[in-house]
Amino acid sequence: MTKRDQLGMTMFLIAEAVFFFLLILACAYFHALPRLYAPWGWILTALLLAGSVSIWRGWRWGAVALDAVFLVGLAGTPFAMLTAVLGLFVLAGVIALAVIPASGRRALSLYWYFFTAVWLVIFGVAGQV
Amino acid sequence: MSAWLCAIDHKRVGILYMLSALLFFLAGGMEAMVMRAQLAAPNLKLVAPEVYNQMFTMHGTTMIFLVAMPVLTGFGVYLVPLMIGANEMALPRLGALSFWLQLFGGVLLYISFASGSAPDAGWFSYAPLSEKPFSGGAGLDYWALALLLITGGSIGSAVNLIVTIATSRAPGMTMRLVPLFVWSTFITSVMIIFALPALAASLVMLLSDRLLHARFFDPAQGGSPLLWQHYFWIFGHPEVYIVVLPAFGMISEIIPVFSRKTIFGYPLMATSSVAIAFLSYGVWAHHMFAVALGRNFLAVFAASSMLIAVPTGMKIFSWIATMWGGAIRFTTAMLFAVAFLLEFTIGGLSGVAFATVPVDWQMTDTYFVVAHIHYVLFGGTVFALFAGAYYWFPKISGRMLDESLGRWNFWLVVIGFNAAFFVQHFLGLLGMRRRVYTYPDLPWFGALNVISTIGAAILAFGILLFCANVLMSLYFGAPAGDDPWNAWTLEWAAASPPPLENFAEIPRVRSRRPLWDLKHPEAPDWTRA
Ligand code: HEM
Repeated sequence: MTKRDQLGMTMFLIAEAVFFFLLILACAYFHALPRLYAPWGWILTALLLAGSVSIWRGWRWGAVALDAVFLVGLAGTPFAMLTAVLGLFVLAGVIALAVIPASGRRALSLYWYFFTAVWLVIFGVAGQV
Repeated sequence: MSAWLCAIDHKRVGILYMLSALLFFLAGGMEAMVMRAQLAAPNLKLVAPEVYNQMFTMHGTTMIFLVAMPVLTGFGVYLVPLMIGANEMALPRLGALSFWLQLFGGVLLYISFASGSAPDAGWFSYAPLSEKPFSGGAGLDYWALALLLITGGSIGSAVNLIVTIATSRAPGMTMRLVPLFVWSTFITSVMIIFALPALAASLVMLLSDRLLHARFFDPAQGGSPLLWQHYFWIFGHPEVYIVVLPAFGMISEIIPVFSRKTIFGYPLMATSSVAIAFLSYGVWAHHMFAVALGRNFLAVFAASSMLIAVPTGMKIFSWIATMWGGAIRFTTAMLFAVAFLLEFTIGGLSGVAFATVPVDWQMTDTYFVVAHIHYVLFGGTVFALFAGAYYWFPKISGRMLDESLGRWNFWLVVIGFNAAFFVQHFLGLLGMRRRVYTYPDLPWFGALNVISTIGAAILAFGILLFCANVLMSLYFGAPAGDDPWNAWTLEWAAASPPPLENFAEIPRVRSRRPLWDLKHPEAPDWTRA
């Protein structure tokens, strides 16, 4: 990964961190946090973590498949704005990983780890159904 | 044509930004003229109240998001690689994508006119007015979606500029040697990374409320309209500096060249920009003094708002000190730069007045605020942009702008601007509300408003003269040569206009005036340090 790609992705992710911090704060304040079915949430978390491990090991299609399954699973949870927005970012990541040449994939892995971390935060604060 | 549509070269992308901003400036200007015509006399009914609401909303949104931000980005994208001795932006495709996102956002905003319901809740669209029960049409949806696209584009271009400045500088050019315009663009880009996500978060919540029956901002359902105000101004106040800091950077390039002196206090100028950036995140609630926030809260924000005047004042003093004793050349660019100092100071002073809470309570939502906004954004940003246009047009086009037309342009803009907006201070003090489509025939209201409208017409004429000057000079202007102003920064070392590959050979940089060093090998700057 070139220094430029890495720095560019880091800057973008800082912006995303501010964005999600403010969204999660507002959702927490107004009790608008997502509610997840108890075992379901753990399965989704496992899928994303496995996706991150896959991309770290360079298994591109493994990561694409795991995150695609995550998205299908997410669609089955009660609708919440926060998870919907996260889902859109994960979807963008899946599409990008599927089409992007090998040279750009390393920068994309940062994106992947970041959104896994955002999910962990959301999962940590979400309510259980 | 396709060369422009698919352009990723920073110079073309920069020009696309500037051209789109100019077009939107004309659109925003026309909306302003409709408003000024409607306000020319008491009790006029040229346009309906709903249309007036749409006009000030579209005008404010256009001028901030589709003019001031993109044009400054355009200058940054065009000039930064040239100034730091690079041949390209670090992430050229991202640069092009960012521009198109921004443009599509603008087009989407204007499509709302065609859909018959332009947004009408003001440029900061306070909740609950912007909520579905009070703004039922699709206008606010267009507004929010358009701003989301623009936000994405702005963050993309900020990322690109940061990476370019951090990684593509010429050999030897440390951050202590980069031109001040590059410094201010860098700081602005970092501010965008931290500020614009607050806008994006607010917009996502607004869209959720409007389209998905969420309840973030609806007090009737347990939401809070104040949340919108907090989040919007966490973005909104840094935004003011996002559109002013690069303008400061331009002035810091222009004044030294036309005073034939190096800038006074370079480290002070750079650090004061950093200080402004930091402080700008701690002043947002001064836009909310009229809300019951509590005494301590008000005191903290009043103090921080006054504090931010300190680094800004340092800049003004530095520019004056740079001119002091210099061999000043009053070209049109320099005239605009000097006028910028005066007009921006007026806007800054009325801003400090507002930081005093009781004064704000008295004046909030009156024409005093409209005068203040325009002295900062027009007297500050737009005057600097005129200065920048006269200064860098020869580099961009290879031709000089006509100086005698330039002088007409300058005087018409100065006279028109001050006539249009200075009197609004008095209107505000007399109690005239902003955002009203008409007003009663009270003492002085009619007279001051007609002066303002005449001023706006003169100003519009001055701006059209600038457009004519650009068009004529593109074809008939005198050839510029590489360095018509005998300047010092690296962009003037490239040909005018610069070729695809900016520099055949990238020089080693050893001082803040690399071109001076190249031209004066017998007495280079770095030997004096
Ligand atoms: C071309 C000369 C201009 C004229 C004649 C003009 C005139 C006006 C008028 C009449 C209003 C509405 C006042 C009200 O009813 O409250 C207004 C609002 C505003 N203008 Fe301008 N303006 C000009 C240029 C600019 C520029 C260059 C900017 C920014 C870069 C700008 C930013 C704004 C903003 C932010 C508002 C507030 C909109 C709102 O209340 O939502 N204007 N202007």
